[in-house]
Amino acid sequence: MSDLHIASVTKHFGETSVLKGVTLDVKDGEFISLVGPSGCGKSTLLRIIAGLETPTSGTIAIGGAEVTQLRAADRNLSMVFQSYALYPHLTVAENIAVPLQMRQMTALQRLPVLGGILPGARTHKDDIAQAVRHAAEMLEIAALLDRKPGQLSGGQRQRVALGRALVRDPAAFLLDEPLSNLDAKLRVQTRAEIAELHRRLKATFIYVTHDQVEAMTMSDRIAVMMGGEILQCAAPDVIYEDPDDIRVAEFIGSPKINVLPLERNGSALMLFDQVLNSHLSTESPKVMQMGLRPEALQLTQSKPHLTGRVVHLENLGSEVFAQVALDSNGSRVTLRAMPAQRHRLGLGAQVGLSFDLSAAIIFDAGGARLRHVEGAVTCAPEVA
Amino acid sequence: MTRDWWKHLVLILGAIIVLAPFYMMVSYSFKSPGEIDRGEGGFFGRQEQMIDPRCIALRQPGRADIEAARTRFLGQDDASVQASLLAETEAACSMRPVVFNYSKAFTEAPLVRYLLNGVAVTLSIFLIQSVVALPAAYALAKLNFWGRDAVFGLVLFCLLIPVHAIALPLYIGLAKLGLTNTYAALVVPWTISVFGIFLMRQFFMTVPDDLIDAARMDGMSELTIVWRVMLPTAIPALLAFAIFSVVAHWNDYFWPRIVVTGNRDLFTPPLGLREFKGDGDGSFFGPMMATATVIVTPLIVAFLLAQRRFIEGITLSGMK
Repeated sequence: MSDLHIASVTKHFGETSVLKGVTLDVKDGEFISLVGPSGCGKSTLLRIIAGLETPTSGTIAIGGAEVTQLRAADRNLSMVFQSYALYPHLTVAENIAVPLQMRQMTALQRLPVLGGILPGARTHKDDIAQAVRHAAEMLEIAALLDRKPGQLSGGQRQRVALGRALVRDPAAFLLDEPLSNLDAKLRVQTRAEIAELHRRLKATFIYVTHDQVEAMTMSDRIAVMMGGEILQCAAPDVIYEDPDDIRVAEFIGSPKINVLPLERNGSALMLFDQVLNSHLSTESPKVMQMGLRPEALQLTQSKPHLTGRVVHLENLGSEVFAQVALDSNGSRVTLRAMPAQRHRLGLGAQVGLSFDLSAAIIFDAGGARLRHVEGAVTCAPEVA
Repeated sequence: MTRDWWKHLVLILGAIIVLAPFYMMVSYSFKSPGEIDRGEGGFFGRQEQMIDPRCIALRQPGRADIEAARTRFLGQDDASVQASLLAETEAACSMRPVVFNYSKAFTEAPLVRYLLNGVAVTLSIFLIQSVVALPAAYALAKLNFWGRDAVFGLVLFCLLIPVHAIALPLYIGLAKLGLTNTYAALVVPWTISVFGIFLMRQFFMTVPDDLIDAARMDGMSELTIVWRVMLPTAIPALLAFAIFSVVAHWNDYFWPRIVVTGNRDLFTPPLGLREFKGDGDGSFFGPMMATATVIVTPLIVAFLLAQRRFIEGITLSGMK
């Protein structure tokens, strides 16, 4: 187990540039999620770390040693694939044993008949069987060891793939969307199990997913990737509450963050002709965007910042999400309300919304975070 | 059903056309020469006792035989002893036509040797073809290297070359190497099968990339992947290829006829059929057809035993 350094890695496939200079440091024992929409390059990055692809430029180092030119087989990394990629002709036990056989036995010892009579083969075989049993017990698949992958359910195959990855002691585990072929219920369960496995093994995990819930619930840090770059790499709560970029804010959080246009008129901060604050430095940009999480909006009757009509309602039992079409520009915002407030949220009902400006996240027109504007807005007393 | 009757009609006609020669072959192998010449006796023939004229000719009793037999036929003159001896010979040389045909098939020529030759040659060809085709197909299907498409184009191009077009250069090459009339001459020209490479490549294209990446992560080298991952998953496709390869080379008459000229020890089963072709004393159709039946039986038995896997292999649906 060791730390991992990825330094300005780029990857081009012909004309298309998939990774545009990715730098990432992963500490020993850390659980890092690479999350982003499909096509953002997260899987390519993982395959480059694994050694299955070579980067166009940049370096990869594991435990201080550079491995950029090393074959996948020599990097001592384990990988779990989305499709599980179990060997269909081998039993579960044989599948889990393969990485050990490949690393601990010589080519001669692996031969079907001759291998059995060579000196040392017996003890090797016993050691491997022992390790396989241990891994199987850890994942509670000991009863399945004699089955073929074709006879297993998706969840069981997933465990076998995990078993094959953890049977040896790799420098890091690479997981490529390992839960996306499972049904929703099993996914939640396996999610918790993988997180627990990480705590128990204290190993480095690099986890690729497009599901932000997985990333939020399991990781020490999340690296949000988009368009071949890492936009932000930080702890899940930081990513959620303090995003650097509007794309990060929009990608993380479900339902999606509400984005409303802001304007600066002199030193006044305007939202749909309404002055929110008048202490803005005149150096701030004229056009800005404001991100408001659904939970930052409140239903109100007096002095609403926004008014609109309820056009869609989703009742999840513990909470209610309402989509409100704004009177000002017709755009929709999502509001999270408590079930107790449901009677005010009938379809078509006219509602007023207010928010605390300190909960707003402000970005410039290009999407970069404007922390100084937020500072000015929240520190100065409102005089509106 | 009623609307599909014409399909069945076509299929039945096709089946008759395909099966008729086999019917004749098996039927002839049961019949006596007379029945074959006259075209009578139905499928099995009448199976009357017949006398092998050659057997009689070889065992004509001579002076010495008569002297030796005199003790058994006491008080008889030479003519009647000779007649008795002749009757004994005839009894010994008479047999059912089916026994005659099949015993001739195995005694007239070393058919067992030919069959063993056939097994050795076809299996060596298939084995070496697989050893060449599997890594080549893996490289063409799953590895990225400069010129891969060009190489695959060459493979497709080679599929278009008929064997007979290159037979002469091949023969001359083998002759210059002094390899004619050897097992090598029967095997070596067929060891690289572009059809095999093509077939296996098409199959390997359907194997998920993740499986190969997983093998790499598990520490396998590329060649190990071919033998330990690709080969086991490709068994159905390999079986399909085995049918084509084994059938083609088991039944091949053309090439063995060219490179095996004198040495009868190297004859493959189809060459064995020539032993019964008409010489001065007429053709032995019965034994010849018996030989043909013996030659095709292994293939038919193998097909019936593995019919399911064979058809799976041909449709390449055995995966998953």
